[in-house]
Amino acid sequence: MGKITAAARGAQLPALSNLVRNQRQTPPAAAAAAKPEEDEKKKIWNSMIRFPTPNLSDAKSIFNSLISNPNPNPSLLTPKFFNSILHSFASISTLDDSHAFLNHMLKASPSFTPDRSTYHILLSHSPSSLPSVRKSLNLMLSHGAFIPDKVTTDIAVRALCSSSLIEEAVELVKELSLKHSAPDTYTYNFLVKHLCRHRSLTMLNSFINDMRDSFGVKPDLVTYTIMIDNVCNTKNLREATRLLGVLSEQGFKPDCYVYNTVMKGYCMLSQGGEVLRVYNKMLEEGVKPDLVTFNTLIYGLSKSGRVRDAKKFLSVMTEAGHMPDAVTYTSLMNGMCREGNALGALNLLVEMERKGCTPNSCTYNTLLHGLCKARLLDKGVELFRVMKAAEMKLETGSYGTFVRSLCRKGMVAEAYQVFDYAVESKSLTDVSAYATLEATLKWLAKAKEQGLAV
Amino acid sequence: MVPPRMKMAITENPKKLANLIDLVNLPTPLRDFLGQSQISRLGCFMRVWSYIKTNNLQDPNNKNIVNCDEKLRSILLGKSQIELIELPVLIKLHFPKEPK
Repeated sequence: MGKITAAARGAQLPALSNLVRNQRQTPPAAAAAAKPEEDEKKKIWNSMIRFPTPNLSDAKSIFNSLISNPNPNPSLLTPKFFNSILHSFASISTLDDSHAFLNHMLKASPSFTPDRSTYHILLSHSPSSLPSVRKSLNLMLSHGAFIPDKVTTDIAVRALCSSSLIEEAVELVKELSLKHSAPDTYTYNFLVKHLCRHRSLTMLNSFINDMRDSFGVKPDLVTYTIMIDNVCNTKNLREATRLLGVLSEQGFKPDCYVYNTVMKGYCMLSQGGEVLRVYNKMLEEGVKPDLVTFNTLIYGLSKSGRVRDAKKFLSVMTEAGHMPDAVTYTSLMNGMCREGNALGALNLLVEMERKGCTPNSCTYNTLLHGLCKARLLDKGVELFRVMKAAEMKLETGSYGTFVRSLCRKGMVAEAYQVFDYAVESKSLTDVSAYATLEATLKWLAKAKEQGLAV
Repeated sequence: MVPPRMKMAITENPKKLANLIDLVNLPTPLRDFLGQSQISRLGCFMRVWSYIKTNNLQDPNNKNIVNCDEKLRSILLGKSQIELIELPVLIKLHFPKEPK
């Protein structure tokens, strides 16, 4: 059953959210400018300096006309102003042109002294390859005499990782750590996350060891959470348990996020009992469960067929001050549908709406799937009408089940309509929507031949 | 971004997908019907199905049956009535398997 992993996905999100420091988009100096009046100014800049072409000489003449404006507002001619001009040019142009443009800006406007973020802008817009990042770094060193710091490292690493040049990023981090400064925890964890997702465990471990041995950068609790999350996603619970051991050896106390992640791992294996065990251990250790914990727990129990236990936690979580949300209810409905109790799930929908919780498309997809499986096609059709009115997307699983149920009842024209809706609402790709329809019709024709269907 | 299931389908069975979306040179009757010389099987199905919808060719009493008009008959084996069930099969006839 499709997408209830939302509950599980939730488990990893909060843990990683402390990592998301959006530096790539806004260079540090500009990031500080979040005050409203600054925003207003920013708007003026942006309307002024949208370069129509990535052509260098055009940009130069635009810049010249900008600064030769007879009444320049002095408050505007700040480094920030120049930086944002550079920013908008660099975002559409090539690296060499941006560098040339910076040189031109320096020559044409003596009042402009580039600061660190000027070079960070160039760095963040460097086309992602190690040589061009190096080039920007060298420019920063030779030209502006700024020594790359932690922020520089972070921007460079993010630029490289965004085009999945992870090996290059690792190389750069080591190089910069050797020459200038070691990465901060955000950069480090960002890189660990990318290594986890896209490279092998061996590579990850060698990176961690190298960083620890050469530069004294040690993994922290967040790093371990990322690693545990990763092995849980690959259903490697043995490694997760080992990492938990390492974590306590290093003197860390597992927090809510770590427990949530481990619970998610057991959810993926449908081991409801283990999920419950982790939850109990968490209580023993005095860690306070949060909404995600309860959602994961309810999801895990529902998935492994212990809906009655799962339901009990509805009241437990309310007592703990967490209101059940769409994920909670959807997980429960999922469990009930698995048991074939689609009507019960439908009643839960009513109860959920009465309590003021709005169902999402995932809820409806789960119900649609469940109703079709329980051969309650009329209700399914009704539900589909609601979904259509609300322009909700169909998921692959519920789409397939629904089309098959309709065809089984000989409602081929309706199945075509569902197909049309799936294509129209871009729920599925045309190919997969059609492949399902075609396969179903083929199967139906065969069944008819043998006198098995309507 | 390709959804995982789709990715699996592609990697497991590239040919099946290819014969859905590859452009094929069309035989004359289809060429006249569609007004173009190349189309994929999926595209052809979509065009025929939208032709049926726009011209209201579904039987009012039984939506599962299509009453073919002159033009549609020319590409669907000259049948005057077809069932929606057979539509993909009939269209597939115009897209023969390539000889190995």
